[in-house]
Amino acid sequence: MSTQSNSGISRRTFLKAAGGVTLASTVGLPKPTRAQETGRLATLIDLSLCDGCPERDTPACIVACRAKNIETVPEPVDPIPKLLPRGKIEDWSKKKDVTDRLTPYTYLYIQKADVEYNGKQKTLHIPRRCMHCDNPACATICPFTANHKDTTGAVVINKNLCFGGAKCRTVCPWDIPQRQSGIGIYLHILPTLAGNGVMFKCDLCLDLIVEGRNPVCVDACPRQALLIGPREDIYAEARRRTESMNGFIYGDTENGGTSTLYVSPVPFDLINAAIDTGPGKPHFNPVVRSMAKTDAMGTAVLLAPIAGLVAGVAAAAGSLKKSSKEEGPHE
Amino acid sequence: MSDRILYDKGLVKRHSTIVLIEHWAIAISGLLLVLTGIFQLPIAQRYYITEVPGLTWSGDFIFSLNIHYAASVVFIAACLFHVFYHALLGHKAMLPKKGDIRQSIQVIKSFLGKAEEPPFHKYLPEQRLAYAGMVMIIAGLIISGLVKTYKNIFAPDLSLGILLWATWVHNLLFILFVLAFFAHMAAIVIKPNRPMVRSIFTGNIRLDYARHRHPLWIAELEPPPALPEQTQPETPSREPAGEEEPLQDVSLPEPPDTEEEPAEPAPESEEEHPEPPVKNIGEPDTNHKP
Ligand code: HEM
Ligand code: SF4
Ligand code: SF4
Repeated sequence: MSTQSNSGISRRTFLKAAGGVTLASTVGLPKPTRAQETGRLATLIDLSLCDGCPERDTPACIVACRAKNIETVPEPVDPIPKLLPRGKIEDWSKKKDVTDRLTPYTYLYIQKADVEYNGKQKTLHIPRRCMHCDNPACATICPFTANHKDTTGAVVINKNLCFGGAKCRTVCPWDIPQRQSGIGIYLHILPTLAGNGVMFKCDLCLDLIVEGRNPVCVDACPRQALLIGPREDIYAEARRRTESMNGFIYGDTENGGTSTLYVSPVPFDLINAAIDTGPGKPHFNPVVRSMAKTDAMGTAVLLAPIAGLVAGVAAAAGSLKKSSKEEGPHE
Repeated sequence: MSDRILYDKGLVKRHSTIVLIEHWAIAISGLLLVLTGIFQLPIAQRYYITEVPGLTWSGDFIFSLNIHYAASVVFIAACLFHVFYHALLGHKAMLPKKGDIRQSIQVIKSFLGKAEEPPFHKYLPEQRLAYAGMVMIIAGLIISGLVKTYKNIFAPDLSLGILLWATWVHNLLFILFVLAFFAHMAAIVIKPNRPMVRSIFTGNIRLDYARHRHPLWIAELEPPPALPEQTQPETPSREPAGEEEPLQDVSLPEPPDTEEEPAEPAPESEEEHPEPPVKNIGEPDTNHKP
C-alpha cells in the first residue's frame, strides 16, 4: 500500500479537475492520520461536465472499464446447464458488445436525458454504475459472503465464491449486479439445482485504489467529470459544486448513503423521467434502505444474550432462595 | 432439582415446568430458524415455495430476515437462560460422564438386540453425548449469527476474513443442526425410548418404567433406607385409575400421545414399596411391555 495514497489520489484528481485553484484549500491539506492507509473513499460524478464523449464511438470511461474487466470474465461452458425446476439462464457471452445497459461485460454505461429545466433545453450524459452503498444489502446479506464491502467503500463480488443466485440484484435498489450463467463454482456442485452463474458489477477498481491509484474510468475521462478522493472531501466538494451551480445531489442519502455522488444542474426527478429505465438500466428515484426495516429486530438479537443471561441468573437465584426456605421446616 | 417420585400417581417428575418451557422455546424457535434460514438462500422463488399458501413471504428477503431475527431473539435468550440457570443450580444430569462413549455403543447394540442394556441415570449416555454435541453446534450458530447480525446493522465493512468464517461456520452448522434434529426425532421413535416422550409434554414419566430403566436416577430420588414410617402410601385415593394428570403443572396440556401408554391402572406393586432403592432391573414386572 502506498504511503501517500490518499492525498495522492485526491490532489491529483482535484487539481486535474478544477485547475487547482479553489480546491487546493479543501483537499490539499494532507491529513496525516489517513496518510498511512487508503481510508474511506467516495466518488463524484459531475453531470455538468460529462458530455458523453461526442467525438468517440464509445465514451472513454466505458472503453477503459471494459478494457480492464472484460477479459476477467471466464468463457461459459457450452451448453449452459438447464435449471430445475425453473429459472432463466442469462447468457451475455455472445452479446459482449452491448454498451447501452449494464451487463456482465459492461459495468459502466452512459444514460442520455433530454430535459427542459427553467425554460432551458438541456441534454445530460450520465455515467451509471454501482453506487458502492454505505450499507449495501447486496453484500451484507449474500449467503456466502461472496460480495463484500471493503474499508475503502468499494463493494466487490468475488467471482470464485459467487453462485449467481442473484439475491444481490434482488435487494439492490438499482438492479446493478448482472448475471452470466454457465461459469463459476455452481458448475462443480449441483448446476441444475442450485446457483446460476456469477454476478458482475463495478468493483471501483479495488486493485488500483488500494495502491493509491485511480479507477481507470476516472483517469480515462477527458473532461474530469469523474473524481475520487477521501470521503469527507468528496462530500464537501459535491456540496460546494451543487451550491455554486444551484444544482442537486443524488447518492448522499439514497439507500442510506453511498460512495457515489451525482452532482447535477437539473433535478433528478426530471432526469429520471427522461432516461430509459428497466433491467440493467438504473433509475434516479428516491431510495430508502430496505434493510432499515430489520435494524430494530436485529438490535434485539444482539441484546438477547444479555436478556437470557439475566433471566437465567435471576431464575436460579429465585429457585435457590425458595429451596432454602422450604428446606428448613420440612427437613 | 425438581425431580421427585410421585408415588400416589405412579409417576416420576422428570422435567420441571421451566425445563419444558426452555425445551419448547428452543424447539419452536429453532425450527423457525431452520425454515427462515433456508429462505435466506435465493431458492423460494425458484422452487415454487412462494406459491405455497402461507409461505408467499418466503421470497421476501427482508421479511424472512425479520422472522429469522425474531426467532433468534427467543432462541438465543432461551439458550443462555438454559446455560446460566442450570449451571448456577449445579444441574449436571445432561453433561457427559466418563465412559459414555463406550456405554453408548453398548446401548446401541441393545437396541439391535445384541446386548443387555446397562442401568441408566436420568439420561442415556447417548443423550448426554448428543447434548454436548448440540451445545457445540448451537454455540457456533449463535456466535456466528451474532457476528452476521452485527455486520448487517453496524459494520458492513467488517473484515472479510471474519465474515467468511462467520458465514461458513453458520452455513455448515446449520446442516449439522438439521441432521441433529433428525437424529433427535429418530431417538424418540426407538421403541425402548418411547415411554420418555410424554415427559417433554407433561414433565412426568411412569415410575415402573423409570425403576426398570433408570435405576441409578431413581436411587437418587428414593428416600434413604432408614425410613420405616410409611409417609407416602397412606394416600388411599387411588381409585381413579386413568387419572394421570399431574396436579402441579396444570398449565401443561395432556400429551396427545396417549396411544403409547396402555391406560393401565397405576402399577400396584410399585406403590407398596417406597423402601430402599432396589435395583429392580430384573424384577419380573408385568406392567411394562418390553
Ligand atoms: C418439534 C420438535 C421437537 C420434538 C418433538 C422434541 C422432542 C423431545 C423429547 C420427546 C425429548 C425428551 C427426551 C428426554 O426426556 O430425555 C426432548 C429432549 C430434548 N430436546 Fe427436543 N424435540 C424437538 C425439537 C428440539 C430442538 C429443535 C432442539 C434443539 C435446539 C431440541 C433439544 C432437546 C434437548 C437439549 C433435550 C433434552 C432436554 C431436557 O431433558 O432437558 N429439541 N425433545
Ligand atoms: S448500488 Fe446495488 S450493487 Fe452497488 S453497492 Fe448498492 S446495493 Fe450493491
Ligand atoms: S471504477 Fe473501475 S470497474 Fe467501476 S466503472 Fe470505473 S473503471 Fe469500471
